[in-house]
Amino acid sequence: MAVHQKRYVLVIDSRKCIDCKACVVACRAENSVPLGESRNWINEERRGEWPKLLAAFEPEQCHHCESPACVRVCPTGASYQRPDGIVAVNEAECVGCRYCIIACPFDARFFREDKGVVEKCDFCAHRVDCGELPACVETCPSKVRVFGDINDPSGKVRELLEKRRYRTRKPEAGTGPQIYYLL
Amino acid sequence: MDRRKFLKWTAGGAAGAAVVTSAAHFAPLLHKEKVAAASRLEIPTTCEMCVNKCSVVAVVENGIIRKLNPNPESPRSRGMLCARGNAGIQQVYDRSRIKKPLIRAGERGEGKWRPATWDEAWDFTAQKLSAAKEKYGPQGTLWSSTESFQEVFFKNLGMAFGSPNIVRHPTLCLASVNLAYSLTFGTVPSFDVLNAKYIIMSGANRLESFITPDTMDLIDSTMERKARLIYLDPRFTVTAAKADEWYPIKPGTDLAFMLAMMNVIIGEKRYAKEFVADYTVGFDQLAEHVKSFAPEWAEQETEIPARDIARIAREFSDAAPRAIYYAGRRSSWYREDFQTRRAQAILNAIVGNWDRQGGMVPNGKLALGELAVFPWDDPVAPRVDEMDKNFPLAAKGDGAYLKLRENVLAATPYPVKAWMVCKQDPMNALPDQARTIAMMQQMDFIGVIDVQMSDTAWYADVIFPESTYLERQDPVEVMSGLYPVVVYRQPVIKPLHDTKSTLEIVQGLAKRLKLSQYFDFTMDQYVDAQVKELPLEAPLEYLKKHGMYVAPGFPKYGGTLTAEHRFVTKSGKIELFSERLQESGNDPLPVYHPPAQPPAGSFRLILGRKAYFTHGNSTNNPWLNAFAPENRIWLHPKTADSLGVNDGDLVEAASTVGAVRLKATVTQEIRPDCVFMLHGYGKKSKWQRLAGAGASDAQLLETAWDKVSGNAALHETFVKVRKV
Repeated sequence: MAVHQKRYVLVIDSRKCIDCKACVVACRAENSVPLGESRNWINEERRGEWPKLLAAFEPEQCHHCESPACVRVCPTGASYQRPDGIVAVNEAECVGCRYCIIACPFDARFFREDKGVVEKCDFCAHRVDCGELPACVETCPSKVRVFGDINDPSGKVRELLEKRRYRTRKPEAGTGPQIYYLL
Repeated sequence: MDRRKFLKWTAGGAAGAAVVTSAAHFAPLLHKEKVAAASRLEIPTTCEMCVNKCSVVAVVENGIIRKLNPNPESPRSRGMLCARGNAGIQQVYDRSRIKKPLIRAGERGEGKWRPATWDEAWDFTAQKLSAAKEKYGPQGTLWSSTESFQEVFFKNLGMAFGSPNIVRHPTLCLASVNLAYSLTFGTVPSFDVLNAKYIIMSGANRLESFITPDTMDLIDSTMERKARLIYLDPRFTVTAAKADEWYPIKPGTDLAFMLAMMNVIIGEKRYAKEFVADYTVGFDQLAEHVKSFAPEWAEQETEIPARDIARIAREFSDAAPRAIYYAGRRSSWYREDFQTRRAQAILNAIVGNWDRQGGMVPNGKLALGELAVFPWDDPVAPRVDEMDKNFPLAAKGDGAYLKLRENVLAATPYPVKAWMVCKQDPMNALPDQARTIAMMQQMDFIGVIDVQMSDTAWYADVIFPESTYLERQDPVEVMSGLYPVVVYRQPVIKPLHDTKSTLEIVQGLAKRLKLSQYFDFTMDQYVDAQVKELPLEAPLEYLKKHGMYVAPGFPKYGGTLTAEHRFVTKSGKIELFSERLQESGNDPLPVYHPPAQPPAGSFRLILGRKAYFTHGNSTNNPWLNAFAPENRIWLHPKTADSLGVNDGDLVEAASTVGAVRLKATVTQEIRPDCVFMLHGYGKKSKWQRLAGAGASDAQLLETAWDKVSGNAALHETFVKVRKV
């Protein structure tokens, strides 16, 4: 088998999201995220007039962009991108300047008062490195998220993106977001 | 979500950044290497955050529960763990847990306690129970509990004590649906949601009120397999949002919808003729009965267009046997609830979906062994709720909670003066809280077993703290259904506080009540006896390793579709017409009585769920509570306009039994003639985050029940709302 460089992405089928918050709590537990903050969240859209109503839910977290603005603006190199695409923060290097928070087009980062550092979704890199799925992906009751290597020609991610239409959020920001929302 | 609001450019923030040196901050990235050698355990066990008992794997590092992961081996939980399951850790580490036995030091409900030793708590309780027995007989004690794996020991103590008064949760939940299906099919089946092509749900908000595997299967069948979902609910729920068709039906008229469906299906000869002839009785009476219930008639009752009713009836029968009218779970809605569920059962029967893939399937079962325990005598006195007289067809062992409360308050047929409660919160679970408080105040003694300080515990005299589900071993339990599974709960950590299991609490009491002979075993012995029947070489080791045992060869279809099969009904067949109902003075076929409607200026109070809360039990969990720290009353904009109420305004809602204050949410997502509020708020217990947060629906709900099953009728209350 040819060796290829892995590139982790997330494919999200928002139609299946039922706003149950399992992903939010799983992330909180897995990554000790303090109450009041969250590394992932569910966008909600409600409109219409009785009885023609619509409610749609869309899970979101760090988009692990191709060209991450947060990494570019970081003055210390604390924000970095791994070869497999995962964007993470090295807390030891972070000085809490919060440039990255402003640079991120998706508001995916927050400042942790108790530690004085910036925190974000890292696709549960510690789990992924052990061959496990990110906590949000694994726990989801309706299996909204598909996580995987977009460079794997036989992977589920590739299959979905080849078969289905999709969009990314804010492509105009020019960062190359790597969460693919199926249409 | 405005994440930028956290962005505060302060010198303090920047200075704070300098203190980042501790290696602990790398814990998420490094934790596996760090603790690999020390102690990182993955222990499979069983969740207890709701009734589904999902299989989980606890990740425990150095004696601390780090994470609860779904166990992918379970065919029931389908590799998921919901928000509540994930938040289970917080039940263990919640600082406001009950950490040692408590004895009341002030007035009831005042919240003054003194810590006690276990011996003190047991002695005090045994003495009070004995005093009640001496004065009123053993029937003067009431034992109520909600299902959990150790509930059996608590119930057995009540029975060994000689009390006929054991009352459980079903009549606050699903008694009417269970009785309706039992009287029709002789059993309560499961629904093969995954393989169904056409699914109708009446108010069964399955996407916010999780049942495994139905919730996940509903997403799978409707989103991946193109099944069609028709959903009836006065409220626009998440299930409504995902349905192919949503009808905001006029509350309490579902039976009219079902009768009209039958009118079309039978009138157009779309029913499963062979199946009906071979397996059912009473079809001719049914056909005659539904003749007059045309869709045009039902449109007047339900506000669902007649053409849609007729079309749905046709589509439903065309899709059969892969078509289901899903039974639903909490069926405590209306005084006529039983007959609505009966109509639903009959509708399923006539399209022939019984025991077929994508239809209704009788539950697969697994046999467990049983530890032989010393038998006790049957109670001498009749039940205080007089089940035989009031609800002769209902499940007697579970009791009828509301009738029971009314009889206790009236001291009819005899006084009940001591109450033991195991992990139940009748203060919030029963309608008309004022009457529940009155019932408590007339008790000479109240003892409560619980993990957290519920409102019922708040009014108790003695509180026995139970170890959480992650700190104790439980008996194994068979989860019957499409995929029968034996689930096992083992402790993943030692108890953090001075708490015990229900069995230990019961044994301490039994010893003092001279009833030890009935509880002369250890949990290990009990479990050993249970599992030895399983077809495994070393069953206990297997369960410890996997957390469950999955019976092979399921799901199974068609086992009952033979000429020899006898249904557990009077006729041995599926009873469309029920002689048993007729003999007991009830309608043998479902008769529709239009529900009372709220007078002008009043609104029907309806109840429902969110996926991250279990009844009133988990609203206090900090990780879950954060999603909805208070409840609000939903008002349709038209309603709000007529009352001069804006979104966020404080309002008073009042029924004939009580009044509460809470904020209003003005939303399009509810019928103008209804209001809605989430359950589990406005608690009295100051040990909860919910004291003063929103309001308790139990204070508003009026007492009413379904006359056949005794199930509480929780949607029969009309409230007035005014701005304050």
